[in-house]
Amino acid sequence: MPVIGYLGPETPERTASRLTAFREGLAEAGYVDGRNVAIISRWADGQYAKLPALARELVANNVTLLVAPGGAEVALAAKSAAGNIPIVFELGGDPVALGLVSSLARPGGTMTGVTSLSVEVSRKRLEFMSELLPTAKLFVVAANPTSPTVNSQLKNLDAAAVALGLELRVVNASRSDEFEGIFTTARSIGAGGVVFTSDPYFAYRSARLAELATRHAVPAITQALDFPVAGGLMSYGGDFRQSHRHTGIYTGRILKGEKPADLPVQRVTKVEFFINLKAAQALGLTVPPSLLSSADVVIE
Amino acid sequence: MASDAPKPPRKLLFAKYFVAMFAAVVVPLLVAGASEAWLGYRDQRARLSELLSLEARLAAAEIQNFLEGISAQLTWMVHLPWSSGADERRRLDGLRLLRQVPSIMSLRLIDGGGKERLFVSRIGLNRVESGEDFASDPSVVGAAGQRVWLGPVTFQGGSEPFMTVAVAGNRSAVGTAVAEVNLKFIWEVISAIRVGRTGEAYVLDRPGRLVAHPDISLVLRADESAVRPLQLLRAAAAAQAGQAIAGRDLDGQMVMAAMATIPMADWSVIAKQPLAEALGPIYGALWRTGILLVASAILAALLAYWLTQRMVGPIRLLEDGVARIGAGEFGHRIHLTTGDELERLAERLNDMAGELALSQERSERIGRLKRFLAPQVAELVDQAGDDRVLDGRRVEVVVVFCDLRGFTAFSARAAPEVIISALSAYYDALDRVIAAHGATLISFLGDGVMVLVNAPVACSDPALRAVTMACEMQAGVRQLLSEWRKAGHELGFGVGLAMGPATVGRIGSEGRFDYTAIGNVVNLAARLCASAKDGEILVDREAAHAVGTAVVLVEQEARALKGFDQRVPVFAVGASPSNAPA
Repeated sequence: MPVIGYLGPETPERTASRLTAFREGLAEAGYVDGRNVAIISRWADGQYAKLPALARELVANNVTLLVAPGGAEVALAAKSAAGNIPIVFELGGDPVALGLVSSLARPGGTMTGVTSLSVEVSRKRLEFMSELLPTAKLFVVAANPTSPTVNSQLKNLDAAAVALGLELRVVNASRSDEFEGIFTTARSIGAGGVVFTSDPYFAYRSARLAELATRHAVPAITQALDFPVAGGLMSYGGDFRQSHRHTGIYTGRILKGEKPADLPVQRVTKVEFFINLKAAQALGLTVPPSLLSSADVVIE
Repeated sequence: MASDAPKPPRKLLFAKYFVAMFAAVVVPLLVAGASEAWLGYRDQRARLSELLSLEARLAAAEIQNFLEGISAQLTWMVHLPWSSGADERRRLDGLRLLRQVPSIMSLRLIDGGGKERLFVSRIGLNRVESGEDFASDPSVVGAAGQRVWLGPVTFQGGSEPFMTVAVAGNRSAVGTAVAEVNLKFIWEVISAIRVGRTGEAYVLDRPGRLVAHPDISLVLRADESAVRPLQLLRAAAAAQAGQAIAGRDLDGQMVMAAMATIPMADWSVIAKQPLAEALGPIYGALWRTGILLVASAILAALLAYWLTQRMVGPIRLLEDGVARIGAGEFGHRIHLTTGDELERLAERLNDMAGELALSQERSERIGRLKRFLAPQVAELVDQAGDDRVLDGRRVEVVVVFCDLRGFTAFSARAAPEVIISALSAYYDALDRVIAAHGATLISFLGDGVMVLVNAPVACSDPALRAVTMACEMQAGVRQLLSEWRKAGHELGFGVGLAMGPATVGRIGSEGRFDYTAIGNVVNLAARLCASAKDGEILVDREAAHAVGTAVVLVEQEARALKGFDQRVPVFAVGASPSNAPA
């Protein structure tokens, strides 16, 4: 029976919905855990520095392939440990720029996977905030300096800020105890709101961020729908259920014998926009019709 | 006839039966199976043609709908002329359009002057009234010419298939709507298509790039040369419009394929099904026929074997029986209870053996008789085929006696070789005559001979026959007599014959049988012979009466004969005593 090494950056609880999507995809390709495939998991519990060691542990277990979902850090950690073992990644951002594959159409090496559009659409989050708060000219950008994609996102955001005539203040946070500082900074400098860069560390802690945003009464937008669902204001990002399902499908295809080199990297087709009207009301904000008509889901 | 090695024929019979049964059973089945397979193949091919064409047409219609849906949505964006200022309502419409049509990644509205008035995107920043000049953009130029313009398929990042759709309003003032469409959404249409169990459909654009395929990674690879087999399939299908054609798939597998076109984009939808699966029912039928053939062949062989065994057993029994009967075991009987012709044949052979036994018994008996009877009588019995002619009975016979006169003196004088040679010639002469008249030579006794007429073989007019015979005897012997006289031997020849009832039959002991006649007539004939002079033929009254006037008979003076109380009337054939030599 083939063995999948699943490298989880967080905990099973935080990634439950993503795991479900992955298993759906795997089942679509004909594999069910315990029946014709075994899954060994290692969880970093948010400590991404542990990822390479965990990846090595999985490799030592003679896994058939590695699944590295949840961001560039995970994919890179898997790459450092895997050797010739195939890797299926799931991330936001450009895997070519990250040096994971040689091209989307022909990955070429031992890696392939799915990329969501979350990283690319960071600027759209700034646009939505600006649209919601047309008078605000200053926004806080929350960034995780340890993220491999942070620089490209900040560059992207800077360009967008210029186009929109806005000013940005970058607040770094790579640990959850730094989260509070993001919101206090926003308040202290009188920023219109907080725009979160796409980062799995933030995404997995949406509930905590929502709670802080509500407590500090700061409008904020993240990549993950978990944020507005947990009471945050808005989210805009790639459909992680779709990306994780595709990851499962690709995992199955590689188990069946296809080579990662021949499997093009897939990009999700769906970018979702969530608005929590209750949160907007609590913040005393009126959501303009342009945002309402763009929203895929409006939480009332 | 007797064969000690009966093996080869058994094989031969088996081969004959087997070939006959095999041909009788298998050939019609083969013909039926082959024709069924051929007709089935033709029907299946036609059905498949229809099915594949239908699936291709349905998919083409759905993709056409997809594209028409987009262009219809875009048409809504260009139905009002532009005002000079920013158009908030149009922006909202644009955002709504993105939400409603997931495949549109971005929308750009160009006014009648070719200036960009609105740009909304899922990825990039929205722009309002940028005023950028798009007048010479191919999409704007193309839409102005055809109202709805579809750009070429492009692969973003060298991988994701996109296409630009531009729609111009019905008046130039309303401008043009240009949308960037993610073609991966066609995947849903294409992957929903299933022809049979594993058949599928794919879409090629006009230059032959793969636009949609159930395996999306083939599309994302954007490798035109890798999909060469798919292009060849399309070329073959296009050459035979409405017909399914056979060709090779990407993995070299044989498939049946049919094509339909999407007129709006000039793309082709090709529906295909693996040949092995498409012709599955035919293979099924062929398998069934094959199994039936094998089963029938086995059955035919078994039947042939059984029948042959049923034949060979009795035939060998018959063969053996015939060999034994042929070898003389006439008592052997062949026991067959097959109830058919073979049993009848056995019965015939048994009958034959019985008859052979009878016939052998008879011939043995005759053989035995021949050993003990006088050869002449034995021969007679042989001719009659039965020795019952020799059984004792009482019949009217003519008894003829003849002997040489002066033989005793001759035999005393002459040398033995002369005597034997003389007798030999004498008997030869008599024998010929006796045989010619169908009379029976009963005995030789020195020079005396007894001949019987009308027994054991009956004949007509025995008296006349006997008299004629006697005359010929006389004539034959006379010739001899003259020769002997020249040699100095004085010999004569006399004949006496009498007619009357006598007891005839076989007499004798186990060692020696004789056929003879007993009765007065014999004595009379013997006495008449003894009384006859040389050259004389004496006939008794009975015979003379029987002869009547057929031969000239001269009644002589009644003579006193030894053993007869009264004188016996005597007749002499034609000649007077004076004719006789002294």
